[in-house]
Amino acid sequence: MNTRTTLWTSCMSAALLVGGMAAADEVEVLCYQDGNECEVMTAMAEDFTAATGHTVKMNVVGFEVIRDQLENQLQTDAAPDVARITNTGGLNPFYLDLTPYVDAAFWEENYGAILPWYRAPGGEDKGIYGWGTQLTVTGPFVNVTMFDDAGVEMPGEGATWDEWAVALKEVQDALGVTAGLVMDRTAHRWAGPAFSYGAKFFDDAGEPMLVDAGFRDFAETFIGWHESGLMPAEGWPAGSGTQYRNAAPLFLSGDAVMHMSGSWMVGNYDQNITDFEWTAVPAPCGPGGCGAMPGGAGLVAFKSTDVPEAAAAFIDFMAQTENAARFAAETNNITAHSGLQKSGVEYPDASPAVSNALATFAANAGKATDSTPQAYTFIGYPKNGVIYGVVPDYITQAITGEISLDEALSSIDADVAAKIAE
Amino acid sequence: MWTALEAAFVGSGWPYVFVAYLIVGALVSRPRGSFTAKTMAVLGWPIELVQKRSGTGSLPYLFLLPNLLVFGIFTFAPLFINVGFSFTEGQSINFSERPYAGTDNWQRLLSETQIDTGAENREDDKFARSVMDTAVFVVFQVPIMVLFALITALVLNRDIVARGFWRSIFFYPVMLSPVVVGFLWTLILKRQGVLSLTLMEWGWIDAPIQWLTDPGWTMFWSIFVYTWAHLGFYMLILLAGLQAIPGDLYEAAEMDGASDWRMLRRITLPLLMPTLLVVTVLSLIKAFQAFEELYAMQVSWISIVSYIFETAGLRGQPTAHGLGVAATASLIIAGFLAILSLVQLALSRRGAR
Repeated sequence: MNTRTTLWTSCMSAALLVGGMAAADEVEVLCYQDGNECEVMTAMAEDFTAATGHTVKMNVVGFEVIRDQLENQLQTDAAPDVARITNTGGLNPFYLDLTPYVDAAFWEENYGAILPWYRAPGGEDKGIYGWGTQLTVTGPFVNVTMFDDAGVEMPGEGATWDEWAVALKEVQDALGVTAGLVMDRTAHRWAGPAFSYGAKFFDDAGEPMLVDAGFRDFAETFIGWHESGLMPAEGWPAGSGTQYRNAAPLFLSGDAVMHMSGSWMVGNYDQNITDFEWTAVPAPCGPGGCGAMPGGAGLVAFKSTDVPEAAAAFIDFMAQTENAARFAAETNNITAHSGLQKSGVEYPDASPAVSNALATFAANAGKATDSTPQAYTFIGYPKNGVIYGVVPDYITQAITGEISLDEALSSIDADVAAKIAE
Repeated sequence: MWTALEAAFVGSGWPYVFVAYLIVGALVSRPRGSFTAKTMAVLGWPIELVQKRSGTGSLPYLFLLPNLLVFGIFTFAPLFINVGFSFTEGQSINFSERPYAGTDNWQRLLSETQIDTGAENREDDKFARSVMDTAVFVVFQVPIMVLFALITALVLNRDIVARGFWRSIFFYPVMLSPVVVGFLWTLILKRQGVLSLTLMEWGWIDAPIQWLTDPGWTMFWSIFVYTWAHLGFYMLILLAGLQAIPGDLYEAAEMDGASDWRMLRRITLPLLMPTLLVVTVLSLIKAFQAFEELYAMQVSWISIVSYIFETAGLRGQPTAHGLGVAATASLIIAGFLAILSLVQLALSRRGAR
């Protein structure tokens, strides 16, 4: 090999090395988790790196960071490349359209039902923006051990909220626990039972029309549940304004018989509840149906990213059938992949309680589609965050007796109208 | 070491800037003498240069510059941004995406009629309620705290046993983070907390009380905990004021046969008045800004700062113009606090004269 050839070979090797390095990008992901979602995603990212050469830097943060700070980061171009979010429609202006980077037909076939959640309202937007990491649906968890200890029979499928309230109070009184029922302080959890009582929330044109007879019925019942002590003072009444309060700690510590929450808590409860038996029960019913709120978290990339190809590749990788199945199985979540929904996801490590919970929540979502379709209008409404905050603000004041129920209801109507009209 | 150095240079320009600074320093100062003198000359060339050019007169300003920059960025910039937010609307924090709104945010906050719907406004009620609740908090908390701080300072100024120990005991809560204070008192005051359990054991109450959220108790405990957490700071200021009073005045009064009470009224309080005034105004301003402890304890009333925090969308419920409305509310409060500070200044000047 002469000097010239050696020089040429060296230059080519260096160029290839540099080229190879340039093609391997780092994707920064901002991730929150209810259970182990980010941990599973980190483990799966190793396979992604092996397949593509791109690396993934996972920043695990509390949900509040995503909820309160991500939008401001996006407005100032200081956002990560990819984030796991729940406000699927609200962040649409910032999304990177994945269409040029993915097999659109595969996405439409398997995620077609939820792709519109990420799109701009109006129906003209046909972009592909995010992978639904899971479908969520609200519903109650029950402490089975307490029912057994109290000798009270648990209401079965199709039982109403009123029947549940009686049974829960019996258990609460028999065992002397703090609360029969606890509910996270947000209208997102409140809506399901309100649907059951007949609240429509939206008119035929899809515009909010919160206070109707069903809404009033449930509000009255809900205040009554606090007066009777079925629901505790440290739940809704302890919050002020639009503040969100998680009721899970009361259920985890064995201070509540029922927690009105949702499917995203299955993994958490499976890992952390060791001293009592728990189960998810079908969404209680009422004159309006068996209401539950659907929803979901998603993985999206942002326009501001410097590595759009790598970011899109990571999301596409996670969305592939085998990876979506692995993610759902290891995180104990309901998959958003319609093909997998039909064929069924195997949860090899799931306990009987988890399997039962996942089946129950999936059935809740099905029932909500049939009996309370307003749930889907609500979740797709771009300004639903306003309603989530305003309802607890005034209902709490009615619970604590600061204002009457009538005042609370008229204030909810006026305040929601104002915030939406702004 | 090289790896660390390489890592420091990757993706960051500052090491290059620092090297350039040193090179310029070496060229400008032409260092001589020992190694230390050379190093100081290369590092401190801007100071040397200013001193050479304009003497020592402008040096204080150069030393003030870093602090002024930090102060400007973190205090004045947010103030101007706040003014900007209050006269523009939209959800973005980016001014290019915030159209000018004139006085719309002021009307959304204060007007009886909601300008976007034409119906009755609810925002003014919420704001008024937070102002009223905060006023109640301030009216009770400030006098109570000043009184107890004064009594504590008077006691701890006397020659009592283990005086240093008692002083540190009273000052200790000041060193705690507000979140720790909130957490600590939540353990005592929650429904299953120490207080409820103890009172039930004594038979004083039948059922446990959630002291922090019970409408009848939330304000009382807010005032109590806030006073407990901040008393030590004001006690210390008053203690310094007490020690500045010349001892011979008391000796003279004692020789004249004045009672302790008379000495307190005629010597201590009049001479302590300037310090007492500072303490009162400072605690008044601080009480209006009360937030951290109350937030950590999740009390069930909304202070002004909580209202601003929430309306700005920082509790995860952003609204279309919440940022502008919150900025407007904060400007009103800032204006009020500025007036309070001016009153303090005027009163202290009068006192000094």
